[in-house]
Amino acid sequence: MPTGVEILLVEDNANDAELTLRALKQRNLANQVFLCRDGAEALDFFSNGASPVPKVVLLDLKLPKVDGLDVLRRLKQDARTKTIPVVVLTSSREEPDIERAYALGANSYIVKPVDFEAFARAVSDVGLYWLLLNHPPQ
Amino acid sequence: MRWSIEHKLPLFATILLVAVAIAQLTIGYGEVRQASLALADKRLPLATKVLADLFQTGQGRVRITALAKDPAIVAFLRSGGRSGREAALAAMHRITTDTASNAGLELRNFSGKLLLRTGRFSIADSVLVSPGKDSARYGPLLRRDTTLFIAVAAASGDAERAGGGIVQQVARLSLSERTRATLTGLAGGDVTLLLGNAAGDPWTDFATIVPAPPPSVLTSRTPVRYERGEVRRASAAPVPGTPWMVVAELPSRVIVAPARAYLKTVAPLAFLIVIAGVLIAWWASRRLTKPLVGVTRAAEAIAAGNLEPRVPAGRDDELGRLARSFNTMAEQVARSHHHLEAQVAQRTQALEGTNAELESFSYSVSHDLRAPLRAIHGFARILLEDHQAQLDPEAQRLLGVIDQNTRRMGQLIDDLLAFSRLGRKEIATGLVDMEELTRTVADEVRRTDAGRKGSLVIQIDPLPPAHGDRPLLRQVMNNLLQNAAKFTRDRADAHVEVGSQPNGDQTVYFVKDNGAGFDARYADKLFGVFQRLHSTEQFDGTGVGLAIVKRIVQRHGGRVWAEGKVDHGAAFYFTLPSAAR
Repeated sequence: MPTGVEILLVEDNANDAELTLRALKQRNLANQVFLCRDGAEALDFFSNGASPVPKVVLLDLKLPKVDGLDVLRRLKQDARTKTIPVVVLTSSREEPDIERAYALGANSYIVKPVDFEAFARAVSDVGLYWLLLNHPPQ
Repeated sequence: MRWSIEHKLPLFATILLVAVAIAQLTIGYGEVRQASLALADKRLPLATKVLADLFQTGQGRVRITALAKDPAIVAFLRSGGRSGREAALAAMHRITTDTASNAGLELRNFSGKLLLRTGRFSIADSVLVSPGKDSARYGPLLRRDTTLFIAVAAASGDAERAGGGIVQQVARLSLSERTRATLTGLAGGDVTLLLGNAAGDPWTDFATIVPAPPPSVLTSRTPVRYERGEVRRASAAPVPGTPWMVVAELPSRVIVAPARAYLKTVAPLAFLIVIAGVLIAWWASRRLTKPLVGVTRAAEAIAAGNLEPRVPAGRDDELGRLARSFNTMAEQVARSHHHLEAQVAQRTQALEGTNAELESFSYSVSHDLRAPLRAIHGFARILLEDHQAQLDPEAQRLLGVIDQNTRRMGQLIDDLLAFSRLGRKEIATGLVDMEELTRTVADEVRRTDAGRKGSLVIQIDPLPPAHGDRPLLRQVMNNLLQNAAKFTRDRADAHVEVGSQPNGDQTVYFVKDNGAGFDARYADKLFGVFQRLHSTEQFDGTGVGLAIVKRIVQRHGGRVWAEGKVDHGAAFYFTLPSAAR
């Protein structure tokens, strides 16, 4: 099991994952990123009691096996994981998705820009904010 | 109260019946009264004639004339003497025993001295009547206290010589109920008969003494109206050979009694007829209007949306036909309504299907299309950043083209999604201050205005408020002002005007600029999705802005149009419901 995980990235699209990691790497935030390829993997990560608690979860919505919104609901329902900040990082800017995500307790909702510079800026800003600026409960 | 036919019909029937009854009673009463009066006017002169004849043909005068010529009387007046006196008295006694017991008979000389007298009755020591020459004459009626007298006298013997005298009879006029009954019996039951002097008092009705009738009655030859105690009708006639007159009279009350009797009999009958007529009218009206009320109620129910009611159609007449036609019509309405409902349900289902497809399409567009696009853009950039040294300038230029087009496609996708969302969005209407909204948008446009060579003036006229969805109207104004700013970018002194003019219950708002304008032939193409009249090199943009403007305005019940000329600016108009509504 990985140790010292700070960011849990749930992303099925390999390209998006690579771009995200690259953006994080440029800010030196990529060392402690753990990548899950689908929702089931993400839930497994948390069901293992030995797993470290990440500082933030970057969650895509459209995922194989278990949908992103399902993952979000399970995390927020579980007392052990509900304080972990979850940032929805998705291509969808459909109003129903945004509303449901917030209703389930998402801490933030970021629409992935098509423009790479804008995308890289958004990802690194999110990383910096949650890892460095945010102060989670101990 | 509601003045329905059901109430009006019996009311009119009642008014009609009452009017007819009143007219019938009035005319009938008038005619009977007129006939009664005519009858009375015939009866009264007849009665006076009978009475006058009765008095004229009295035997008194004949007897007195005969007595005056009796030889015994003449001899006694001439010679006197005991035997002559006895003979004269005997002659007089013959008459007094013949006549009524209330008469007295006298023999006087011309100077009035009483010579002989028979009978139990005497009134005075004088001659009451100056006698005629050769026949007896009646004097006027005389009154002593409550008694009336009739005096009749005749001259006897030789009037020129001392041997003459006067035979005079004085009789009390019988004033008894019996006399009256007899007389009125002769004249006809209810007639009152009066006798008196032509010259005036005294007068009698054969029961009591009464005041003389007025001269108007005594001088008229035809029946006249006068008042004695009550209103009466009277006819007068002289008694020939005497100074008397007789009057026959009837109270008007008695004359018009048949008319009253007519009223008394006919009025209750008319009343009964009116009541019966009203009841029949009410019944007929109910019978007539009840089916109509039924049809009306059913029609109202159908108009209100309940298609079930039918009306009873058992009758054979026009109302029955109406009911049957109504039921047929209701049946057709119900059938076409159900057909329509089924169609609407079908279409709704189809529409919902389309809508769901559209939603999943836009979801796919936003999610599935953008991810590969981001990958293309991202890796092209990475290539350019990480491997610049290995790339020659031409390869770098080609990567730049990829970069530009992926950005543009991202913009297209975003605009398309915005446009598609608009069709599904609910419109929230409220009062929108268009002037304040325009100022806010104009400030933003000025702030983000870039690449301009000259100055930009946005002139905002006073704008009336509109009725609509503020965020959407803000987008309309934003798109139009952004366009105006974009197409005036090359102008040295760009001028944009926002104004309005009323148009019925709508307001026409417009945005005019002095920019690049457009070819008026393509004015209707401006509002289509992805329609552009300028190249991307000239002016950037995806061609969705005006399509969004059109869709928002149309969803507000307004319309859009544009006027323009190449290089002479453009004007965009849109109408919105006025806030005053």
